[in-house]
Order: sequence, then structure tokens, then C-alpha cells
Amino acid sequence: MTGRETGPVHNRLEGAGVPDTLTRERRCELLAAAEHDEIVPLAERLLADGATPPPTVVKAPEVGMVVLQVREPVEETRFYLGEVLVTECSVEVDGVPGWCMRADDDRVAALAGALLDAVAAASPAARAEVDALCAAVAERRAAEDAAEWADITATTVAFEELT
Amino acid sequence: MGYSGVRGGQEAIEAAERLVERARFGGHSRWLELDQITERLGPAVDRVMGEGGLWAPHLAARAVRQSQGDLLEAAQLLRAHRSTLPRLGYSLPADTAELPAVRRVAPAHRNPPGGQLLGRSADFTPRLLDLGPEGPAGAHTCEVPNGPDLPHDRLPESAGSDPEAVLRDAGLLPDRRNTDDPEPYDITRAPARPGTPRSARLSAMARAETGSLTHLWYTCGRSPRHQSPEIPLELRRGRLPLRVTHPHTGRPVTVAAVQVTEARTVRPIARPRPDGTRFDLGYGLCFGENEPKALAMAGLDLLVHRDPHTDRLEQKVLIALDGPEASGFLEHLKLPHYVDFRSTMERVQAVRAAAGGRA
Repeated sequence: MTGRETGPVHNRLEGAGVPDTLTRERRCELLAAAEHDEIVPLAERLLADGATPPPTVVKAPEVGMVVLQVREPVEETRFYLGEVLVTECSVEVDGVPGWCMRADDDRVAALAGALLDAVAAASPAARAEVDALCAAVAERRAAEDAAEWADITATTVAFEELT
Repeated sequence: MGYSGVRGGQEAIEAAERLVERARFGGHSRWLELDQITERLGPAVDRVMGEGGLWAPHLAARAVRQSQGDLLEAAQLLRAHRSTLPRLGYSLPADTAELPAVRRVAPAHRNPPGGQLLGRSADFTPRLLDLGPEGPAGAHTCEVPNGPDLPHDRLPESAGSDPEAVLRDAGLLPDRRNTDDPEPYDITRAPARPGTPRSARLSAMARAETGSLTHLWYTCGRSPRHQSPEIPLELRRGRLPLRVTHPHTGRPVTVAAVQVTEARTVRPIARPRPDGTRFDLGYGLCFGENEPKALAMAGLDLLVHRDPHTDRLEQKVLIALDGPEASGFLEHLKLPHYVDFRSTMERVQAVRAAAGGRA
């Protein structure tokens, strides 16, 4: 495992003897990439089953913008390309923080993402379900990427010069 | 010039708005779903997001639908909505060298490092109006043939991400790299005026109105002062990750991706002084699939770097290309100007009388 978080969350998970297969950032990335219909039902079910204590909403889902900075190649200086619509949410589950930021303005999905992020860090049992969802998202993205690459390679061109 | 308000006309205004709503919501055709707009009118949505300065495909699709396809109006709607949203933060700097390209062409090189990928493009297809059957009858042409035997995994972009390396290695490109890493100029917080850093120019062009940008590049780039040929080194499209710092770990995390078009272009320096033995390089990057915009931006970046003052080019690039600003001013001309016109007419009559004419 690389890039693992240190601190109380880490110690608690180690004490439970459950291997953490995803870094916190990778899990956040995959939860951000998941569809609404993937993460919201799982979050609702974990809450309904009592598999996780009720979350405390630290920061309610907020729709806003993140400025996209780009480093351009001519002078290698930064400029602002524009802004990206995102929704951000922070929660706590049993004292463990969870955070989500994802594209677009889906507040419910952002809340579900933050909850799953916290649950995965707080509860080894629930983590397996969250990580299974993340694995499915990763697999889907890989398949989409492979299909796109297959299409693109068909357009590879090497022109011949007429002499 | 001063303006004065008018009173009345409320019923007529409401009736006029109802006619607009009838056009939006009435008619006999099916309701236009947002997915239809984002999937089938992608370049229009991309253009609105670029000119609105906000990457938000579904909001842009709403704007296109509300404006009934008027893209200038749609950009204005999105820009206005943007002004109501809080700014939650800044991304970590994205390097386009890591852009996974879905299209990469190199007009200057036949065999660039990493090869050329035409991607989805009609560059070599006759631009003829399709009068074929309506609907999905043409779907049989959607199957893409197998490509050459390339690696199954996507090639690393580092294989083809430095198109100016050939010129730089040959000593034909001035080294303009800046080691200071200044903070970017934020044109949404302070007006961009001549003399502001290049970062302001790039931001202004990234959200410029596509037609205005293209027109300015065309008129300036083809003037007799710029006889040397402009040839793009590379044109790419791909998805740029939006990375922020994770609030709990402090490490980078990717939270979204944005489609972009990138262009790099060169011109030989036409005059012998100060250094006529090299090329100038220009850079363009914009939201979405908008190749004319990226190319025109790169061309103008180059021309402003070369000569910002002639024809007030830098000023035009910074001030005259914003779609919502220009169209907003134009739109306001349709509103009542009765007092202004009376005042202007009286002034003209007074001048005429003073000149001995008939008042």
C-alpha cells in the first residue's frame, strides 16, 4: 500500500487487522467518478442497515467552482483556463472525517460520496463494500478507456510525401 | 452618455415574454432533453462553456435550450449563473504534457514522436450537406475498423508531448522559460488591460467569443506585416484532470476531468533584427472541442508577443473579444434611449445653428 494516511484512522484500521487496499485519494477519485445511481443506493443501504453510525454533516453539500490552473509550455508559467462546476461535502462518521468533491451540481451524490469516504475509513466491514464499488468504477473506466483507445488507434495516420 | 429609466409597458413586456415561452415550450416536436443536446450538439455546448468561462456540460446544455440555440445568449446565461456561484478553491497546476489525447495531429511534421492520431475528425472529408435519410439510417457507418497493431494500453503522452523539441534542440526557438512562477492574473477579479502579464492574455482568449477571436486572428495574421507563414506544430484534444489538495491528507486527488483543445504554432521571425534566425512560438488552450479557437488563440498569442502595440493588438485581445460583454452592449441598444436621442439631436442642432445653418 502506498500513500496511506497516518493518524488515528490509520491506527484504528491497523488494529482491526484489515488491509486497506486503496489510498484515501484513490478512493476519493473513484467515488467522484461514480454515477449517482452507483453511490447513492449504497450509501442509503449502509445507513438503513445500521452498518454505519449516523453521520454528522460538517459541511453541507455546496455547489461552487474550482479554478482550473494550467502550466503552459512556452514560458512554463501558470494561467487560469476557467472554472469547473463542482459540489463539495464533508461529514463525520464516528469521529472519522469523510470528504467528497465531484463534478457537476449533484448535492445528493456529493453527500453520499462523503459518507462512503468516511465509512470506508471508519468501518472495516463497510469498507469492503465501498471498495467493491470503487473496483467496479475503476473497471468500467478502464474498459471505456480501452474502447476509446481502440477507436483512436484506427485513425493512426502516416502520410507519404509526394516527390 | 447618461441613461434614464422608463415607466410603463409592463403588460406588453409580459406578453412578449409569453411569446418567447411559447416558442420555448410550445410547438409539436418532442421536448429537447439535455442529454440530446450534450450528446448531439457537443461542439455547441463546448463553445458555450468556453465563452461562459465555466465547465458545466449540463448547465451549458440548459443554456443552449433556453436560448433556443443562440450560443452568444447561452454563453451570457452561463456567465451570469457563474457569477452567483462561490469559488471553492484552485486546482493544482495541470500540465498538458500528461493530457491523454483523443486526437493529435502535427501539420509541421510528417512523423512526429508518438505518431499522429486523427481521432474524430472530418478534416479530410468533403464538407457537403447530408441529404440522406432522416434518423439512425446512417448508423451502419458508425463501426470503426480495427487499427494498426498498436499497444493495447494507451501510449504515454510523454511520447508526443514536446512538439517544439526539434526546434529547441536545433537552437531555432528562443528559450522563454520563466523560473519565477508568478501567480496567474485573474481576469475575473481585476480588469485585463495592456501591460498585464501574459497569463491574463491567455485567460482572456480562453474565454473569448470564438468568432471574434477567429476574425481578429484572420485579419491580423494575414496582414502584410506578417508575411512569414504560420504553421501549427501540433493540435491536440483530450481530457485534463482537475486535481485539488485532499483536505485531510494534503496529497493531490483528481476530482473531475475537463475536455480541452490545445494548439502550438510557429512563425519564423521575418525581420533580421533582433534575431531573424529563429521561430516565434504561440500557445492556445480552451475548453472542449473547439479547434478553430485553440488555433486562433495560439496565432494571436504569438503575434501579441511579437508586436503588442501595432494596431493596438494587445488591447484588442484583452478587451474586445469577450462575447457576453460585446453582445450585452449591443443588446442594450435595443432599449429605450429617448432622452439620449433628444439630447443628441439638440446638440447637433445647436452646432448646426452656431455654424450658421438653419436650426
